[in-house]
Amino acid sequence: MSNEQPTPQPTTPVDSGSQALAEALRSSFSIVKFVMLALFVVFLFSGFFTVGPQEKAIKLRFGKPVGEGEQALLGSGAHWAWPYPIDEVIRIPITEIQEVRARANWFLQSSLQEARGEIPPAPMGTPLNPAIDGYALTGDGNIVHVKATLRYRIEDPVRCVFQFTVGTNETYSLAGISNAVQNMLENALVHTAASFKMDDALFDKIAFQDAVQRRVSKLVQDHKLGLVVDQCVVETRQPRQLDDAFKRVTDAGQRNRMAITEANTYRNQVLSRADADAAAAVDAAQTEKTFMVDRLTTDVASFRKLLPAYQSNPALFKQLRLIETMGRVFTNVQDKMYLPTTPDGKATELRLLLNRELPKQKTETAP
Amino acid sequence: MKKNLLTIIISAVLAVIFVLLLFTFQVRTSEVAVVTTFGRTTREITEPRAFPFFKWPWPIQKVYKLDKRIQNFEDKFTEAFTADGNNLLTQVYVGWRITDAKAFFPKFAGGSTVAAERLLEDIVTAAKQSRVGQHPLGELVNADPRQLKFDAIEAEIRAQAQAQLALQNCGISIDYLGIKRLGLPESVTQSVFDRMTAERKGLADKLDAEGQAEARKIKSSADLAASKVISTAESKAREIRASGETVAADLLPAFQQNPELANFLSSLETLEASTRSKTTLIFDSRTLPFNLFTGSVTNK
Repeated sequence: MSNEQPTPQPTTPVDSGSQALAEALRSSFSIVKFVMLALFVVFLFSGFFTVGPQEKAIKLRFGKPVGEGEQALLGSGAHWAWPYPIDEVIRIPITEIQEVRARANWFLQSSLQEARGEIPPAPMGTPLNPAIDGYALTGDGNIVHVKATLRYRIEDPVRCVFQFTVGTNETYSLAGISNAVQNMLENALVHTAASFKMDDALFDKIAFQDAVQRRVSKLVQDHKLGLVVDQCVVETRQPRQLDDAFKRVTDAGQRNRMAITEANTYRNQVLSRADADAAAAVDAAQTEKTFMVDRLTTDVASFRKLLPAYQSNPALFKQLRLIETMGRVFTNVQDKMYLPTTPDGKATELRLLLNRELPKQKTETAP
Repeated sequence: MKKNLLTIIISAVLAVIFVLLLFTFQVRTSEVAVVTTFGRTTREITEPRAFPFFKWPWPIQKVYKLDKRIQNFEDKFTEAFTADGNNLLTQVYVGWRITDAKAFFPKFAGGSTVAAERLLEDIVTAAKQSRVGQHPLGELVNADPRQLKFDAIEAEIRAQAQAQLALQNCGISIDYLGIKRLGLPESVTQSVFDRMTAERKGLADKLDAEGQAEARKIKSSADLAASKVISTAESKAREIRASGETVAADLLPAFQQNPELANFLSSLETLEASTRSKTTLIFDSRTLPFNLFTGSVTNK
């Protein structure tokens, strides 16, 4: 191209017209040269690129990722690559925690309602419209709502990005892989529900959750999604239409436990009372025995002591003992009535009105 | 002259770049390229290589790049009758990809995946409905793992759809297929609810009855145990008393030495014991020691 440049001879006289033309050509050509230089510089510097904090980049050389596994990922900062068509830089929006939520088998609930824990009402008698509310069928042919949230780690980012996509999306992102995981999570929910009885799905949530996690982990592994399942949180719920019916069962369960608790309390009371009564009966018998034996022993002892005295003069002994005893008796007795003997020596007639209602009162008439 | 050399180098580099852009292309690892020569598909490139691919510039050759990544796709939630006549709604998801770009490319205008998915949906839905129709509902939902054929049915649907795709020679293969939703028609859900309500009611009644029965059982067994405890204690008490009487029987012969004294002593004791409190005693002058009064009164 440079040979096109006119080389004016200073010695050759030229007219002012050609002088002006040469001048114009020179200046325009220097513009072209500048543009070329600028293009070149731009071409070289176009190799620099920066990666932001919320993204990673993968460098492709002739279409192949540079580096393998985690090493293929370029972190935030400045990097350099050859310009196209040698190298190509692909940016991937990526966050630390990858999470998918499966809600296809749950009733319609906005994320705001879900965050607040609000359940949209569905009175008894409203059927479930499959176009609005999702649900799963259980192994015993019942209906339950199931949802899950899965957290996972990307193990093979190159595979995740270059093997999976969603729809007709030409860009590179993790949308394809998260879509695949989400579908497999829904499948795990449907499959687990289909193999569980409703009561197990609703009331043995840990077993249900474990089964879902096992299934989704297996699917992820079988289809080589290049990720690892970290945690799977599953929720199951009876249809809202049946809340009252389920509450009745809960109440019945409560009553059931209450009745049994009451019966147990009764048992404890009855048994402890019986134990106390039994101990008292045994103690009473023991006391009685001891008392009887002691008394008898004392009696025998005093009998033996008194026997010689009695044998020496039985009549006197008897009289003395009787008087002594009568003395004590008269001291103790509350009322004493003395009936003197009539002069004619006839017996005095005495009439007593006994009040039967005072059985403790003892009356004794001496002959 | 030096200035000219720089100019030459720069121009040469730019020219090389221009030529490269015009005559070469690269294929990403996720892509498959189809090269057409005057509109006819002549080449297919499936894997990238360490240097660029060559092509004649437009209008001689043209390069079309297709995405060979696995595409996620799901069909509609459609009704089908199971082998035992249940109306069942099913929805499946599919992971598919282009495996034969040469076959795929002319089939769908410009290699459009939208058109491909339309075909795929028709094939997958047909396969799904025909396979679901071969099985009773009890093989799709069953708490008994031996009767559940969930995975087998998924595999059947996939195999049938794959066979259909191969028949149509459209260069698509299905990597995975799974059931995403199972459902019943709206009208059926109400009868399921009615049945579930009845079941719940039965369960509540059963719980109530069981609770009461259990409570009664506990109470009566407690009563029985208590009466056993009491009767054991009573027999033990009787034993104790009997043993007391045995001891007494051993002691009694001592009184044989003089029964009269024994009787007298015991009479005295009884007399004293029986007049201990709240007793009214009426006596006359013959009672000892009040017979002492007799003389003084009658002497007046």
